[in-house]
Formats: sequence, structure tokens, C-alpha cells
Amino acid sequence: MRVISWLAAISALVVLGLATGGEISAAERVSFSKDIQPIFESTCWKCHGEALQLSQLDLRTRESALKGGQRGPALVPGSADQSRIYRLVAGLEKPSMPMDGTKLTPEQISAIKDWINAGAPWDPSAGGASSSAPAVFAETPIPEQARRYWAFQKPARRSVPIARDPRNKAHPVDAFLVQAMEQQGLEPAPEADPRTLVRRAYLDLTGLLPTPAETAAYLKDQSPNRWDELIDHLLGSPHYGERWGRHLLDVARYADSNGFEHDFDRPDAWRYRDYVIRAFNQDKPFNVFLEEQIAGDELDRVTKESLIATAFLRCHAKVGFREKDNPQYRYDYLDDMIATVGRGILGLTIQCARCHDHKFDPITQQDYYRLQASLFGYVEVEHPLTSTKESEAYNKKIVNIEQRLKPLKGELKQLERPYRDRLLPEKYKEFPENVQIAIRTPEAQRTPGQALLAAQVIRTTDVSSKEIERLMTPSDFARKRQLHEAIRRLEQEKPPPISVAMGITDGDYRFAPDGPGDEPEPGKGVKREAIEGTFLHQGPGRYQAPPSYFLIRGDYQSRGPQMRPGFPAVLTYGNPPVEIPGADGHTSGRRRALAEWLTSTDNPLTARVIVNRIWNHHFGRGIVATLDNFGKMGEKPTHPELLDWLAVDFMRHGWSIKYLHRLLMSSAAYQRASRYENAADLAKDPEDIYLWRFRIQRLDAEIVRDVILAASGALNTEMFGPPVFPKLQPEVLHAMTKGIWNQEQDGPKVWRRSVYVYRKRGLPFPLFEVFDLPDQNLTCSRRNVSTVPTQALTLLNDDFVLRQAQLFADRVREAAPSDATEQVRLAYGISLSRPPTAEESRLAMEFLRKQKLVDLTHVLLNLNEFVYMR
Amino acid sequence: MRSLRSRRDFLFQAGGGLSGLALAWLLDQQGLLAADRAPASGACAANRSGPTPFTAKQTHFTPRATSVISLFMSGGVSHVDTFDPKPQLARYAGQPLTGKGEVIVRQGNPGPLMPSPFSFRKYGQSGMDIAEIFPQLAQHADDLALLRSAYGQSNDHVQAHYLLATGTVRMGFPSVGSWITYGLGTENQNLPAFVVIYDARGGPFGGPANWSAGFMPAAYQGTVFRASDNPIIDLKPPASVTLEEQRARLDLLAKLNELDLQKYPSSSELAARISSYELAYRMQGCAPEAVDVSRETEPTRKLYGLDNSTTEPFGRQCLMARRLVERGVRFVQVYHGGLGNQNTDTWDAHDDVKKNHTTHAAEVDRPIAGLLTDLKARGLFDSTLVVWHCEFGRMPISQRGVGRDHNPGAMSMWMAGARIKGGQAIGSSDEFGYKAEQQPVSVHDLHATILHLLGMDHTRLTYLYNGRQMRLTDVYGDPVPQITRS
Repeated sequence: MRVISWLAAISALVVLGLATGGEISAAERVSFSKDIQPIFESTCWKCHGEALQLSQLDLRTRESALKGGQRGPALVPGSADQSRIYRLVAGLEKPSMPMDGTKLTPEQISAIKDWINAGAPWDPSAGGASSSAPAVFAETPIPEQARRYWAFQKPARRSVPIARDPRNKAHPVDAFLVQAMEQQGLEPAPEADPRTLVRRAYLDLTGLLPTPAETAAYLKDQSPNRWDELIDHLLGSPHYGERWGRHLLDVARYADSNGFEHDFDRPDAWRYRDYVIRAFNQDKPFNVFLEEQIAGDELDRVTKESLIATAFLRCHAKVGFREKDNPQYRYDYLDDMIATVGRGILGLTIQCARCHDHKFDPITQQDYYRLQASLFGYVEVEHPLTSTKESEAYNKKIVNIEQRLKPLKGELKQLERPYRDRLLPEKYKEFPENVQIAIRTPEAQRTPGQALLAAQVIRTTDVSSKEIERLMTPSDFARKRQLHEAIRRLEQEKPPPISVAMGITDGDYRFAPDGPGDEPEPGKGVKREAIEGTFLHQGPGRYQAPPSYFLIRGDYQSRGPQMRPGFPAVLTYGNPPVEIPGADGHTSGRRRALAEWLTSTDNPLTARVIVNRIWNHHFGRGIVATLDNFGKMGEKPTHPELLDWLAVDFMRHGWSIKYLHRLLMSSAAYQRASRYENAADLAKDPEDIYLWRFRIQRLDAEIVRDVILAASGALNTEMFGPPVFPKLQPEVLHAMTKGIWNQEQDGPKVWRRSVYVYRKRGLPFPLFEVFDLPDQNLTCSRRNVSTVPTQALTLLNDDFVLRQAQLFADRVREAAPSDATEQVRLAYGISLSRPPTAEESRLAMEFLRKQKLVDLTHVLLNLNEFVYMR
Repeated sequence: MRSLRSRRDFLFQAGGGLSGLALAWLLDQQGLLAADRAPASGACAANRSGPTPFTAKQTHFTPRATSVISLFMSGGVSHVDTFDPKPQLARYAGQPLTGKGEVIVRQGNPGPLMPSPFSFRKYGQSGMDIAEIFPQLAQHADDLALLRSAYGQSNDHVQAHYLLATGTVRMGFPSVGSWITYGLGTENQNLPAFVVIYDARGGPFGGPANWSAGFMPAAYQGTVFRASDNPIIDLKPPASVTLEEQRARLDLLAKLNELDLQKYPSSSELAARISSYELAYRMQGCAPEAVDVSRETEPTRKLYGLDNSTTEPFGRQCLMARRLVERGVRFVQVYHGGLGNQNTDTWDAHDDVKKNHTTHAAEVDRPIAGLLTDLKARGLFDSTLVVWHCEFGRMPISQRGVGRDHNPGAMSMWMAGARIKGGQAIGSSDEFGYKAEQQPVSVHDLHATILHLLGMDHTRLTYLYNGRQMRLTDVYGDPVPQITRS
């Protein structure tokens, strides 16, 4: 067989014009030390040299190359075409080498070919071997100047500039902004009118509309503090957490299902979503918020909340099927965690260093695998949310019932066995002749092929309970029924499941309980390397995280040295601990150390990144526009001193997000008009990066739906709990493959805020998707805003929108039954927080002479003004 | 007509971006009334009005084709039973597969080598070997550039679908159609640039993530078309709203938005949103027309097999695809095989490869042959790239003596149209079809080739995300050179 493929290879090479011949003279000139060794040194020996012999292949000597590695000889002197070295570097066979995706030059490839064809003479230069080739995992020291990059320096406490115009002295944020504007020669817009401001504050902080009464009350309020009081009021609203929690759920790539083929439901994911909403409403200090999410199971004070918070590290998309046969999946999940911690918390694309050192930022592959080691002990668990006593009692009951079920199930099996044995041969007759012969042949006499066939069929053929029942004697049948009934009754005795939180802790993933599809194949995947161990450490002694390694080119099978936990060197000041073990010894304390490093005031990025995110959501653009990339490929900060000042100020104020909202919203910058045309400003700064006017912002997808519900008056303000499944059109459900969508009727029960709508990875909610819902599988940097006809079609024709338009009309008619002018005024007040202008009023009145009120309310829900914050 | 005229007069007076709305309505009416008019003219003809995310863009070099019809056989076609004959399977039938390293199967344990239940014949001047279950498609052998050495990365349906759709087995990345519409825009803004037509039995493995825009703006995601007069979700108002009412609403909306725009004259975002309503309105008229196969002549309908219940569903999908391409749609993704019942409704032939592939080949053979013939007859063959592929090949060894398991190691695909060189088989798998052997073609190579044929260098089509210039082909891929060699 080997000969056949070999001949085929040769003939194809001739066709491709790659075969050689008559080039001996060229080949003779090739010298190993001069022509080949430099190539080996810069490429091959990194992985097949002194420090490392991947695939057990050592290319340091001619002898070892001839011997070859796992995949056979690497070198056949005299025949490049048969030599794997040549075939792989020439791309004639996979995997192409070198493995980093680079290619040797045509000259280098041709030199190797000539050298092999010339008999592969081996005359290593003095020093020889690969002593000069550093191993691929050798750490490149980070140059000292790398740390001088602004984002890797700890934020400095800057002094607030003194503006020339004394009016701007009052507010530190304005002082920085006005200084920049003065330098650019920009003339800022005046303050927005109070109606605009009250709507802006509501949309921004709660994602809902002010009612006409709330708007009126604000306008009537003569207090000089009315703005501050309004902000305090809105920050105290439970709707605040529903809006701002959602921003952080984007970062956490939160969803209620697994994704991938089965898209399994995550029945307890919502507890994490509620945790995030509550954290915002309680103004949980942001450092504590992060610590709970990274290491909620390792803190000094572990609470139910902190255990729920650890779901942050489980929010990635997950195959959830045959995990143990596919060990590479886990490395992808770890990569997702590193990407989310990196981009989401640190604003750095650390995951770029999975396969090689980062191309642009001073992040090494070592940094990556240190961070991976910090997380590597994680295992998925469902933390009981009941008291220990209750959960123990629950487990006891379940174990007891299982024990009582065992003999019943055993008897049932015995009872069925003779029937099964009679039926199976009949089943085999459905297979082709060769299968039947294979099964009939006694096991010892089967050919290897027959053995395979027989094993396949015998293992997978079964008879159904119905088929057995048809053959059963009346007494056996009666007994079977009795047993079934007894089993059913016992199953019913099982207590309802206790509440659990989807979370993580430390353990040994290799001994995790089998998930779906994990059962059948012993000796495969992670089970192959399973030695003695337990899933969760119970003592004695301290927990040890399973070993993790530097992975060459990110390939989980190409292990370099074992890694210790740690943090990206360029971001680390001093010598922070990399493990802070807890008293019980059940976890390693590595994640706790990571959490403390992330939230340390010495960390140059965490505070800057969150301050910048909050800024972005208020102003529509971050001081660093790339919210998740403060590295070299990210945008430069427009106001670097201000960013530093804010970061330091934020940390000094206890990492309080609400403090930050008050600070930013009390600035003149936040209160400027968006409606302001200034040709000179526009010419100098068309993007408005200096904030000379307030930037109008299209509402996020969820908020589009929420304000429609607010306008119609149908919003169900119930908070928290399991998600809702608003009705989807059957055509949409048709595209869904697996997982759940518990189609509910359109009505008040599902007219909850959008943050409570089920997030299905395999089927994004269409109304959200069309309005730029970020992909639910990756941590989101900044949402896209696109304007496309399908958005218009949705707002024009979707059943939900039309029904809400009708409810909106009903609401208006009820309040002003017979007065069309009043109806128009009210409809404007509800949806746009302002009365109509004379022209608008005239157009609307004229319209209503022929059209129904719902026609008008539907138009209002479609207006540009309705879906923009201004 | 009177009301229309006065409306148009008003809109013309209102000026600017608004005139299009009224004009579109009038033209739509005329276009729709003149049912059998050539589709390239009339109201739904190419509309390049921009700028929007879809404004037609420059290619890197002269393209060979301007649009793509991608025919995806969901479930995994057995290459050794269709386009890649392996006589050695008969010779070694019943013996274990050895000498190839660990034999990795998706389900259970490996079986012995199994010959194809189908016979192969040579077709065309090129003498291409094709199995008997594709008698009509085989007549186009000289049009096909067959890739016999393609390979994937995953033996799981969904990850393998994502790999073909996006270039990675992970979720969250833009699909090929998204990249192409991002790179090229569209020739006709009255229709979506990237259209998906999936099997009436259900969506493909992995569902809508297959046509997701991933980290790109949602504008670039695929729009699902169904074979009805309401092909797009929410295209038309429900019965409770008459067209007259809708028109009245749109008129008022346009007027009020126009008044508002006067307050924000420098906002292109708000102006774009106004024109998106105009486009939506045109789409309401143009999309149903675009997929209305009843407008086709009887011979054309027959050509695609619409006269036969076996071939009708996929024939309809193919005919819709041709109509869309004819109207300037950039990328049409057609799926055969849907997750109603995985074993019977897709090519996933674990149970019985003969039965499964006989059924499914019969469903697609005539429609695909008809599509190729029709594209030629209409002069669209050279400007349209047709790609036929699936998520993985199948095992040369048997599953329970009759079925075949998944095999990402080797699969067959083909391309046609786009002025490629037909009648050639490129690369080969090993003697059993277990692994790609000569000139292995990765999915990145496939994607690079598709982009190349559309005039785009896959290393230059980039999208800045995550601090990196992302590519459909990541850091890999080379166009298959023989595809264009003449």
C-alpha cells in the first residue's frame, strides 16, 4: 500500500514539474554549513533542536534526521521528493513547515532540495549542533523603553489645568476639555435646552423615556441643583442597573445558551445577569466587582453573590459535547477567557500572543502562558445556593433514591435479557451479508476487518422496549409494568432540584463528571492522560493545579516547559504574589492573585479602561476610541492627561461608578447642545473628538425595543429572574437548529426590559440583531452602528412594533378621547418629550383628518428623533 | 394615479433625498405591472445609489466574476462515492485501514474499508470521473474545476460548517458573504447584497451563525430569502395595515424627518437613515419580484426540475439564486440539506450511504445542471462563480457495513463559471480517500481562490478589529493556481 501512494506521489510531482534531474552540478555546490545550517538555525532547530524535539524529531545530526521522529524518517539522502523535510517546507505535504505560517524563500527551498539530492552531506560548522538556536519558548526580554509607552505607565495624578476663561474653572473635566479646545481654536456649543437634557439623562442612565409628567416637573423645578438632583434620582432608579449592567454584559459576552451544534440551554446563567444588574444598582466598587468575577470562590469572604459572579469565566461559547474527546476545546475556552480579561478589563489584545509573541505590543508568548496557568485550574461547577445543611440533605435524598432504584433497574434488565437475546439476531438480518457473516463468525476466527464490523454493529444495535413487550409472556409483561411503575414512583420522590449558580472553582478538569457525549470512548482525549486524581480537592494537603505548559505555536499537543502563573511583565510593577492560597487549601489562589493584580492601584490599565468605557457610553466616543485596545494598534487618547486624572480620581473615590457618572454628567461638556452648527468647528474637527458639541447617539438595539415599550405604556417593569422568550415568527424559528426557544405569546409577560430576553447564541433575537447587536460570542469592544433598510422594514412592519403602536394610540386616546390637538400634543410629549412645533402640529392634524391615530403613533416610533439620544 | 402624482409633486418640491421615494413607488408600479419585462430594466434594475455600507467598491485587480452562487451540501458529501473514485477500496474491501496513523472517527469505533456502492464513468472531453448518481451534472464535466484534495479541520458538523463559512471553527467571525459584500458592496441596493436561501426542511447545521457578520457591522450579514411572495421577514406590513395606510405613514415620516434634518444639517447619519426608508420601500417591491419564479417560462422551470416533486424544492432555490444574481445580488448562499431530520434530510450518511446519497443526488442533480445551462444561456456564466462544496468528506471505511462517518481529511469540491478552467481535476487524496495527498487545498486556500476570482487579494482584504487587520484567511491561504490557468 505504501508503494502505491509513493508511486502516486512521484507521478504527481512530475506533472507539477517539481521533479528534479540533471541538476547535479548545482547540487554539488550546496554546502551544509554555509547554505543549510543557517536555515536550520533560524527555523527548524527552534523546535527540533537542543531544547526541544517536537514529534520526537531531532534535526541536530544527520543520524538523528535519518532516524526521524514520530512520523518516520525526515531525510532520504539523494531524494528530496521522498524526504519529509523537503516535502513539508515545499508545501507538498501538511503540515507545512515552519509551523508559524511563514514560508522559506524559494531560494531556501531550492537549496534544501539540491542539498538532499546531492546526498545530504553534513559538515556542521564549528560549534555545530543547535547551540546557537534559541528554543522557540525562550523568553525575549522586554526592552526597557517598552514600558515608557503611555498605557504601560501607571496613571499619574495630573494637576487640573487653569483655563483662561474663568467660567471653566469650576469643573475639572471641563478644565481639561476647554484647554484642548482653546488650543484647537474650537468654539463650544451652548448648553442644551432643559427638555433635551432631561431626555438625555433618562435615556443615558436608565434607557427609558421620561414621562411627560417627569419632564414637566423638571422644567418647573427652579432649584439651582435640579440637574444634580435629577442625576441622583436616576442613579437611584432600579432601571439604572438594567441599562448600565447591559454595557458590562457585552464585555462579558453573556448569553443564556452554549452555542455550537447543540446550543444547550444554560438554565442558571440569568443569576449572573442579575448579579451584574444588582452590582450596578448597589454601586459595588468596581475593584470588588472584578475580584468577585475572577475569584469569587477564593475570597476571604465568599458569598452567594461572589459565587454567582464567577460565571464571568464561564460566559464563553462552549461546544458542550464530547469535551473529553476533544481536549483542544478547553484551550480555546481558556483563550476566550484570556481575550476577555485582556480586552475587556486591561484593554490589551493579550490573546494575540497565543501562538507567537505579540506583533505590536510588548506581550510575550510567555506572558500568555503565565496567564493561562493562572486560570488553568478552573473547573465548571454548579455552586449550591442553599445552606450546606440543605444541600447535604438534598444530596442524601438523591443518593438514597438512586440506591433504591438500582435493584429495580437491575431486575428489569434481567427480565428483558432473554427477549433481547432472541431479538438481536433478527435485527442483524437488516444488515448486509458481510456484516451478518462477521457477526456469525466466532470472535476468535474473525478477520481484523470482520472484528471491526462486528464490534460496530453489536455495540450500536439495540431493541426497543416495545419490541420486547410484544414477545413477552403475560406474567413477564405484568412484572415489567410493575417495575416501571415502581421506578416512576421513586423518580417522583426525588426532591425538586435546589437552586444552584453556574460558576467555577479550582479542580482537575480531567476528572470532571462526564458531560453529554463524553461517556463512550475510554482511552481517548483527556481520559488518555488521566491518572490518579479527583475532580474537586477534598484534602488532605493543598490543592495542586493540573500542570499547564508553554504551547509551541499554540498547538496544545506541542508542549514546551511547564508554566508558573503570572502576569504580563510589561504591566507588572513590583513583585505581586501570583498565588494567594485560601485557608481551606481547596483552591490554588492563583485567580485571587490575578484579581488582586488587576485591581491594584499599581496596575496601569484597569482603572483607565473602565473610566474610558464609562466615558464612551456618556459621550459616544472614548477618550481612547478603541475601548478594548490601548496598545499600539489602538487609537491614541484624545485627552491623555484627562484620562489619567480620571483614572486616579476614580480609584481615590473607591472605584465608584456612580461617583464617576455624577462627575461626568455635571460637566458643561455633557450638558452641551448637540444641535449646534458651527462651520469653523466642523471644518477643524469634523469628528467632534474635542466635544465642541454633544454627539448624537443611536440607541442600542435593546433600548430601541425598551423605549417603544415605554412609549406604548406597555412596559412590564418586573425585574430579575429567568429570561423571557418573546414570540418569534415561525420562519425565524425554522432556521434554528437545536437548543431551546420557549415561544411565548406576545403580551405583558414578555414585555419586560430587553435585558431579560433570552440570549441564544445560535439565534440572535432578530429585532436586536438588525440594530447591531454585537456578536454574542466574543467580548464586545464598542457596538457598531449601521443604518440599513432592514431596520426600516422592522420598525415599519414587525408585528411587535405595530402592536405597540396600537397600544400607544390607545393610551393617547384614553387620555384625550375627543380632542385631536391634545392627542397630538400628548403623543409628542410621550415619545419625544416635547410638544410639537407649529409646523409639526399642522402636518399631524392634517394627517389625522384622513388617517387613524395609530398611523400617527407608528410614525412617531419611526422618527429619527425617537431612536437617537441627543 | 392623481394622488400619486400630487404626492410626487410634493416630494419633488421638498427636494433632496426625498424625490427617490416617490419615484421608486411609481416605477415599482410600472415595473411590477409589466411582469415579463426583462429584469435588468425597470424599477428594480441596478440601483447604485449611495453612499451606504453597500456602495459598490473597487476591486484590487480585474475580477473574473462579479457574483457568487455558493451551493452548500449540508451534512457532508462522500467524496469517494461522488467525485473521487477509489478502486483500491474494492481491492481492500473488508480490511482495516492501516498505515495512516490513528484512524479518527466521529462515532463509535472504525469499521473496515468499504467500496462505493456506485459506479463511476468518464464524462466530457476531459474524461472526468463522476459517479452515476449525477448523470445530468456530469454532462457539464468540462465546465467543472474539481478539487479532489480539499480538507477541513473538524469532524463535527457545526464547527466544520463554521470553518467553511467563516474560515474558523469558532463562533463570532464574519462569513465569506460578509467579507465579499464588505469588500465589493453591491450592484443593486434595491436588494440585499448577501442573500441566503436554505433548504425548506430547515436551516443548515449551526444555523444563522453561518451567515453572521461576526465582528463586522450587522449590515454585512446575510439576509434570508424564502420562496414566497414575502421572501424577507417583515418585508411587508401585516394584513392589518393596508398599502395605502403604509404609504400615508411613510409620507408623514419623510416630512417630519426632513423637518428634523434641518436642525442637524451636518449629520450624515440622520440623512442616511432617511434614505434607508427609501431603500426599504423599494425592497418591498423588488424583493418579491426577484424571487418570483412564476415569471419564468415553462422551459426554464423545467430546466431546473420545477415540474418534478423530487427536484422542485432545490430547483426553486437554484432558480431564485439565478434571478438574484441577474439582478446584481453579490453573493447567494444556497443550502441543500436542513435539520429537519439530520439522517434523512441532510447528506449525513451514517446509516446508509447508498440510500442517502441516491436520494440527495437526485434532488440536486437536475437543478444544478439546469443552473449551469441557464447561466450560460443568459450570458451570466462568465460573470458568476458557482461553488459546490460541503463541510467535510466521508470515511473510506464503513459504519456498520453501509454507512460512512465524517472525514475532514479529504473532500471534493468544484467550481464553475467565472472564466475558470473547466474540465480539470486538481490535487488528489490518498489511495483510499482518507487524507488529501497531492496539493492539499485548505479552506483558506478555497477562500483565497474565491476572493481572487472576484478581483480581491485575500491578503489585502482586511478589517480592523481587535487591534489587528483581520482577514478571511487569517495568516494562511493561497489561491489554487490551476483554477485560472488556461
